[in-house]
Amino acid sequence: MTWGWRVAKYTWPEKPTLLSTRVLRLDGPDKVAGRARYTYDINRPGMIYGRIVRSPYPHARVTSIDLAAAQTAPGVKAVVAYRNPGDEVHYQGDPVAAVAADTEERARDAARLVRVRWEPLPHVSIEAQAMDAAAPKWSTTQENTRPGVRQETGNLETGFNDAAHVVEQTYSTHVITHVCLETHGTVCEWDGDKLTAWVSTQGVHQCAQGFAQALGIPQANVRVITQYMGGGFGSKFAPDSQGIICAKLAKLANAPVKLMLDRKEEHLDTGNRPSAFAHIRAGVSAEGKLTAFDGRSWGTGGAGAGSNFPLPYLYQFPNRKRVHTDVYINAGQQRAMRAPGHPQGCFLTEILMDELADRVKIDPVEFRIRNAPPIAPNAQWIKYFQEGARRFGWEKRHPTGDPTPGPIKTGMGVSAHLWGGAGRGSTAHVDINPDGSVVVKCGTQDLGTGTRTIVTIVAAETLGVPMNAITTEIGDTQYPFSGGSGGSTTAASVSPAIRVTCTDALNQLFAKVAPTVGVQPDDLVAEGGRIRGATDASKSVAWKDACKLLGTEPISVDGKWQDGLSGAGTSGVQFSEVTVDIETGIVRIKRILAMQDCGLIVDRLTAESQVYGGVIAAINFALYEDRLLDRVTGQMVNPNMEFYLLAGMSDVPQIDVVLNDMPERGVIGIGEPPTVSTASAIANAVRNATGATIRSLPLHPHKVLAAIEQQRAGGTN
Amino acid sequence: MKAFAYVNATNEREVVAALKTDGIALPLAGGQDLLARMKDYIDSPDRIVNVKNALDTTVTSTPEGGLKIGAAVKIIDLYENQQVARMYPALNAAAIEIGTPQIRHQATVGGNINQRPRCWYYRNEEFVCYKKGGSRCFAVDGENQYHAIFGNDGPSHIVHPSSLAVPFAAYGARFRVLGPKGDREIAASDFFTMPTLASVLKENVLEDEEILTHVILPAPGNVRSGHYEVRYKASHDWPLAFTTVVLTMNGNRIGSARVVLGAVAPVPWRSKPAEAALAGKPLNEDTAMLAAEAAVSEAKPMSGNAYKVQMAKTAVKRAIMRAAGLKTV
Amino acid sequence: MDHLTSSKLTSGVHCLNIRHKGMYVTSGPYPEELNFYDPYDATAYWCVETQRGFGPDGKPVRPDMCSGDRECCRH
Repeated sequence: MTWGWRVAKYTWPEKPTLLSTRVLRLDGPDKVAGRARYTYDINRPGMIYGRIVRSPYPHARVTSIDLAAAQTAPGVKAVVAYRNPGDEVHYQGDPVAAVAADTEERARDAARLVRVRWEPLPHVSIEAQAMDAAAPKWSTTQENTRPGVRQETGNLETGFNDAAHVVEQTYSTHVITHVCLETHGTVCEWDGDKLTAWVSTQGVHQCAQGFAQALGIPQANVRVITQYMGGGFGSKFAPDSQGIICAKLAKLANAPVKLMLDRKEEHLDTGNRPSAFAHIRAGVSAEGKLTAFDGRSWGTGGAGAGSNFPLPYLYQFPNRKRVHTDVYINAGQQRAMRAPGHPQGCFLTEILMDELADRVKIDPVEFRIRNAPPIAPNAQWIKYFQEGARRFGWEKRHPTGDPTPGPIKTGMGVSAHLWGGAGRGSTAHVDINPDGSVVVKCGTQDLGTGTRTIVTIVAAETLGVPMNAITTEIGDTQYPFSGGSGGSTTAASVSPAIRVTCTDALNQLFAKVAPTVGVQPDDLVAEGGRIRGATDASKSVAWKDACKLLGTEPISVDGKWQDGLSGAGTSGVQFSEVTVDIETGIVRIKRILAMQDCGLIVDRLTAESQVYGGVIAAINFALYEDRLLDRVTGQMVNPNMEFYLLAGMSDVPQIDVVLNDMPERGVIGIGEPPTVSTASAIANAVRNATGATIRSLPLHPHKVLAAIEQQRAGGTN
Repeated sequence: MKAFAYVNATNEREVVAALKTDGIALPLAGGQDLLARMKDYIDSPDRIVNVKNALDTTVTSTPEGGLKIGAAVKIIDLYENQQVARMYPALNAAAIEIGTPQIRHQATVGGNINQRPRCWYYRNEEFVCYKKGGSRCFAVDGENQYHAIFGNDGPSHIVHPSSLAVPFAAYGARFRVLGPKGDREIAASDFFTMPTLASVLKENVLEDEEILTHVILPAPGNVRSGHYEVRYKASHDWPLAFTTVVLTMNGNRIGSARVVLGAVAPVPWRSKPAEAALAGKPLNEDTAMLAAEAAVSEAKPMSGNAYKVQMAKTAVKRAIMRAAGLKTV
Repeated sequence: MDHLTSSKLTSGVHCLNIRHKGMYVTSGPYPEELNFYDPYDATAYWCVETQRGFGPDGKPVRPDMCSGDRECCRH
């Protein structure tokens, strides 16, 4: 069979009609009206509720588990022990058993009737304590620390010899949790040996593999569905213990089971961003060039998990040495969290940068320009420093310490970041039906970022039809494979796949309609709901009429991501202005300016929303969130949203987003980069306002007041 | 959640009758505190007595020229009441800072006064502290950044959570309480109790079968009042320290003063040193600063909350400045 | 960017059941990132069998731990 068209060369349109414009997210109305059904909202006939019994202790041994009382409790349909006598638990929230009952309340009540006897073991909850050789061990079989390898570049001695000034300080960031608004959880339903699981997940196909391998069933027997999802931030790539427990309870009870975690479980057992500490000695030349960096870093990813991060970050220290030690404590394990490692490395480096700039009395923006990597498509920092400073009114920034009388001091700060954001690997399917309808299928998932919308934009742009002519089907393993949504890869993986697939389908349609229009297939274009000659627009056919020519046989095309439509490497710079009440230590953020690129912008509106979300999350990191473990018992004191603080609407400042559209680079992800440098820009602004340097997050009033006090008593430098 | 009996009382007497039981009976008004405690297994009552339809939901004038506020008045209605705003501006200021719009539309005056502590050891089931019948206050050696800086003799180191109790105490309000033996009136400043081993399970003098029915505010007289809350977040957050001052004026000078601090002690904390520092002084910023210094002179912070002393000082100063009509920042 | 910076999982050395985010995200290469910092491993690992960061034997899941001498290792 000869199709009669050239081998497709896939490119983005030079003059797009939808791409890079501001398109409202398609499912916004459904979400606002409550019609969008999240995993939490899935209710199946005969469904019951699961509840996990967890360790109240940070470190203990299970001596016995007695399920009898729970098994006879009202409404209970299934009870399972998840651990055996003799097993060791390593953190508060470690799962040990589970129950399923006919109501959520009865499941909770019954879970409390599972009698677990414990032998509490000595625990360790604080990094510094864990590093002490005499400290209790987090595990009866493991050490508390794991020293990393020494990384060395250049010659430190030369570097410090070249330094006119040296700063030596300890910097740190704290542990925060992901705090997804929708908690982790699953609804599992068996039909014989086939499992359907509605999961709040960042990867439907990936979860299917997890269920299959953990349950020992063929992956072909697992269907995972995620139509709407309330955030994952890196913590939702697998069924997790709660997913597997849910499936087992459903099998045992022979009924669909919903098992959604509550907020406390969410804080304790679904991941966190590790802490980061570094003792740094760094040198700067009289001309304001970085000369040397000597860093010893450590941090905890909880019970047995790593904590490394990039350091120094972004700026060019020609001579550098660093060694990192992972510290283990009795607390829930870390998981990837929005730009893993970057916010930590960025903060530790960027506070140091302002201290070094002050030593050589160079403006922080100018100082960064002198030490930033040279401008390249993936390295726009110098440009953003210059343009951002102009837009932000940086020239109004006073030298360190606001001289204005009164308790309210104002300051500005700046910081920079980077991310990769390259995608690949997505596959898609498109049907163009004889009635003109179009169905696009892709087994990706929309975490709330707008994936459903950008899939539709790319399809509509490619086929030249309005967005409402496209039916977009995602969030289901019955659709073609796509990767998990992490690493800011989704837009860059999915958009090319949709472009390729729809282009192939369109070419088939062109071949079909070419004789009718009287134009060679190669010379046809689709736009504005018509197919017409590229050079002779008078020769055209309406989309619907073109599709009628298909008769009874739809165009049905599979396609996949191809190189050339997406890119890698984004850069960004953020500016912040804050006020500090020096009589209370309370910081309020006045405004943030985010300079950011992400290659070809697919939907300017959802891209900007990604930046808003990233900035707000980072404001929480800077000021509010803090996983607090009781120093005596090792138990979390704030596993809630009451004392685990999160910004409310009134705490969110004006956020100005300047997106640098770089269509020639193809699509690059934007989910992670905007959350990296905000916290350090804020901390540097607090320093500029008060003259006091706070080298650890969060910027809680007690630290701000202490730093101001210390500054008054002779300086924090 | 333990199964419980539900009694829908229709008048005050029915409330008192329903509170009498062999088990545990608890009144339910706006439910903003009780339901959360039940869900968290902090309280597991046998009987819930709905008092929303039984207690007074109105604000009325008293013959003495004050106001009588029903315990079932919602926070939002208290805030929107014009008489309250005119006569007791500090109370109005406190009302609007409570919780969120949703909470203010559900929560009641009586519930606000009688809510249990927000201490994270009390609120988390794992920690069997004095307030839950245990034998220690975990805050002493633990995480106490939000705990008391006054009245720290123990055994408990909570801060009282009520935002309204502070202006009520400052304005000299009295609480009407009804029980099986009839009603009684208690000065707001006497209603709340410092913890002792015998009394640590509750925060006030209310007996198990008693219910708070009204807050009675005296005629304001020739006073100036001010209220200031130090909050970390701009909304939906508990204040870290706050103050109501009520100043009886004698011309341009302060005659007598009441200075009550909140979020700093197990009870609304009346500061006699601050009151003494204000008496007879001109009402200006210098006086405010002196009184603020005096207010915290007796503070005894715990291991992790010395910063709250500075906040309390600032709250006192700024409340006085607000009473003076001066700019606070 | 996990796949670039995490310790390599070597077949025959590391357990086949070890998982991390980078294995589930179809991420393209970005070698230039190493112009901006040195390699680091921020990765969180889990076991596909237990679906937790601890293996069937209760010990943590990490490349340095999940190699030949653990009973639960699969090759």
